[in-house]
Amino acid sequence: MFSRRDFMKQGLVPVFAGSAVPSIFANGVAAAAADSPHAIPNGRILVLVQLAGGNDGLNTLIPFQDGAYHDARPTLRQDTGVLTLNNQLGLHPNLKGLKASWDAGQLAIVQGVGYPSPNLSHFASMSIWETASVQGGIGDGWLGRYLNYLDQVGESPNHALEGVSAGSLVPPELRSKTPVTALQSLSAFRLQAVNEHGTQVDEENPIMKFYGGFKTSGPAPFGALLDTTLQEALLASHALQATDATYQAKATYPAKSPIASSLKLVAETIVSGLGVRVAHVTLGGFDNHAREKPVHDKLLLDLDQALAAFMQDLTGHGYGDKVLVMTWSEFGRRVKENGSAGTDHGTAAPMFLLGAPVKGGLYGEQPSLNALDNGNLKFTTDFRSVYASVLQGYLNAPASELLGGSYEILPLLKA
Amino acid sequence: MNMDDAAPAASPTTRSTPIWRRPVSRRAVLATGAAGAGAAALAVLWKGNDLSQILNRVQDLTRANQGALSDPRVRAGHLLRRAGFGGTATEIDRFAAMTTTAMTQAALDYQQTSNAALDGQLPALDLTSAKGPNAGAIQAWWLQRMVQTARPLEEKMTLFWHGLLTSGLDKAGPAQMYVQNELFRKMALANFDDLLKAVSKDPAMMVYLDTETNRKGKPNENYARELMELFTTGIGHYTEDDVRESARSFTGWTLQGGPQLRYTTQAAFIPRFFDSGQKTFMGKTGNFTGDDIVEMLVPLRATAERLSGRLFSFFAYPNPEPEIVRHLADTFQQSHYNVGTVVREIFSLDAFYSAKAYRALVKSPAELTAQILRATGADARGFLAAANAMAPMGQLLFYPPNVAGWPGGTSWINSSTLLNRINFANAAARRGAASSPAPTVDQLTANLIDGKVTSDTRDGLHAFAAVHPDDHAGLLFMALATPEFQLN
Repeated sequence: MFSRRDFMKQGLVPVFAGSAVPSIFANGVAAAAADSPHAIPNGRILVLVQLAGGNDGLNTLIPFQDGAYHDARPTLRQDTGVLTLNNQLGLHPNLKGLKASWDAGQLAIVQGVGYPSPNLSHFASMSIWETASVQGGIGDGWLGRYLNYLDQVGESPNHALEGVSAGSLVPPELRSKTPVTALQSLSAFRLQAVNEHGTQVDEENPIMKFYGGFKTSGPAPFGALLDTTLQEALLASHALQATDATYQAKATYPAKSPIASSLKLVAETIVSGLGVRVAHVTLGGFDNHAREKPVHDKLLLDLDQALAAFMQDLTGHGYGDKVLVMTWSEFGRRVKENGSAGTDHGTAAPMFLLGAPVKGGLYGEQPSLNALDNGNLKFTTDFRSVYASVLQGYLNAPASELLGGSYEILPLLKA
Repeated sequence: MNMDDAAPAASPTTRSTPIWRRPVSRRAVLATGAAGAGAAALAVLWKGNDLSQILNRVQDLTRANQGALSDPRVRAGHLLRRAGFGGTATEIDRFAAMTTTAMTQAALDYQQTSNAALDGQLPALDLTSAKGPNAGAIQAWWLQRMVQTARPLEEKMTLFWHGLLTSGLDKAGPAQMYVQNELFRKMALANFDDLLKAVSKDPAMMVYLDTETNRKGKPNENYARELMELFTTGIGHYTEDDVRESARSFTGWTLQGGPQLRYTTQAAFIPRFFDSGQKTFMGKTGNFTGDDIVEMLVPLRATAERLSGRLFSFFAYPNPEPEIVRHLADTFQQSHYNVGTVVREIFSLDAFYSAKAYRALVKSPAELTAQILRATGADARGFLAAANAMAPMGQLLFYPPNVAGWPGGTSWINSSTLLNRINFANAAARRGAASSPAPTVDQLTANLIDGKVTSDTRDGLHAFAAVHPDDHAGLLFMALATPEFQLN
């Protein structure tokens, strides 16, 4: 039997003894930590990469042969170094890692993704993508509904690490009725209860009691929110600390790159075998209304290098065929650049799906640059069709039920 | 388990009293459809439970909480937390002896209060070198202001404007953010049209939303769109054409200085950059300037209701009843868009002191950090460390996540942020200067959390104090880690 002090020596958050042990500690984490990925019935993992601010799709998947592209982008066009995919389209010169994945048949690109009556507000459009509803709103996110579904069918360990996001906030896609964990670092994810005098490792125990008592008598919804969150936090922290020492990255992640740090944290959480089902990372800074080129070039470079390291790391840990990465952004940019060497808010843009589970290639149809709607591209594939394809074709979940409607299934994924 | 000073329901009210003049009980609120919808909207924001359970809990709490704000000291503590960053024992006692009107005046009429003591404590910020101060310096500087100011509402309103009229260090430079922060402070309670005209020419804003590049023949829509979507009317009250025409009207203003625009703090109007053609905006046509656009947007009812709702939600509770929003919007419009008048009215409403308002807000990391530092003490280095510690709590000053600001409310609380909030309380209590004599459990709870704690919290603190009678820092940490303290 461990004493609390023994737990602390090993860097573990103590499991509480006696009557204050929350029932949530009695199952879940210990079992989940022991699970190998193979023990999970459907061990497939989806990693969402949000390109926040509206990524310039035309300077990501580039129609380099189209005269209209050159005319619309006198200062922003990519004239040289485009990584050609065919005789019309190519990737931005900084997407070399993604080009290698393309060559290996592990990159699917869906062209012209959007939705009817596009909304040019960042926040309205993000909400539409996050909820998979053109009304947007504050309901559960589309992946939150997937987590709910896993719980309903009993196919989930139902603990705080099945949905994780890198950052300090839980993203709206993961809003659900099940716990989701926001992570910033594994080492910081613990209650630092030992004081400088080395005494009183039992301090957490009364704190848990404070929150337990407040659960029912504190104001709704905060009383229960605070109690459940603290329980989730200690549960996830305990599981994470137990695995902290074992992870060794099997790739070199770029230094000073927030997206690389985020993806490394997700990789660490995944390969620790804690039952992650969906993960979310954000790369911000795409709202390039002015002086776009240097900023956008750097963002795509950071994205590409971070993704390359992430995929190498996962493959090295034997997770290569269990992880699908999907990028999304709330909208693309205006076709014609503005007077500030930037681009204003636009509409349709490509989505990337990356990993061994995909059937590489181009999907959908590239929107015409000569048939615009108010200067913006007309979408050719509904984003919910991509979501449906991933839910049904990869996660084996009932897509039309979770999306509240039927959308075309694209053959993006291997069976 | 029950709140200790739960008193019987407040005095009966007459039917003729408008809703915002009546003490509002949770039960009365739930009886009305609109407010029920508000509670539901709040409830679904939270991911961890299902709606029916939450609504049942609201009903149960009605009884326990009805008399929450009958005690003068609780009312004083509530106002001092909402209009500032919490009160010391002395401040709470001083406010508790006042009438509600006098408390409101004491909070609002801060222009008469000298801030010389704070000014003497603040470090000098270097604004003369090419790059100005660094990010950490202005973050620590503002946090110190929140902790040590004699005019707490001035800092609280500055925080409100920072969250609404956002700019951030991801694009603007520290010197620019400092200048904007001083603008918000100077115009904290000013007329909204005057504030928006000044913000439109504020260097940080001009960089953050790209007006500095907005030129005749080369319009940039960024500021024009967010001015309507986020700062005034909200979505649904304008067209894409209005965005484009408004962008043309805001041409002409740019930044003066070298190539490093994020270090420039001087804005200038350059006539040749201004598009002097006719613009058609919201059905009117003329040679409009940016100021003209502001003057057309601010009088709109949508602006009045949106800003009033934001202010009430910031100070009292989220999802205010439509009657309250209408009343405050009327106040706003009748006062020539004066923000101070609206804030004064909010603090005068019974709804502000109702059970529904009590602990109805989650402390933002700024509020939490400032209140913890006020309770534990901090030296100059402590402010910088604390400002940095706010990042993993979800709110790094001058770094809003995007132009919509921090979403706030229940989003402040997740597994990661909660651990960081508790860990910060621990670190601050351990490094703080011990006060002598050390406060008792009852003094700590009375001054930090109104003495309104569950029996679990009270018993737990007493038990800790009994076992560790000399660990005063530990006891202070425990009080700062309570769930009661997480709420405002």
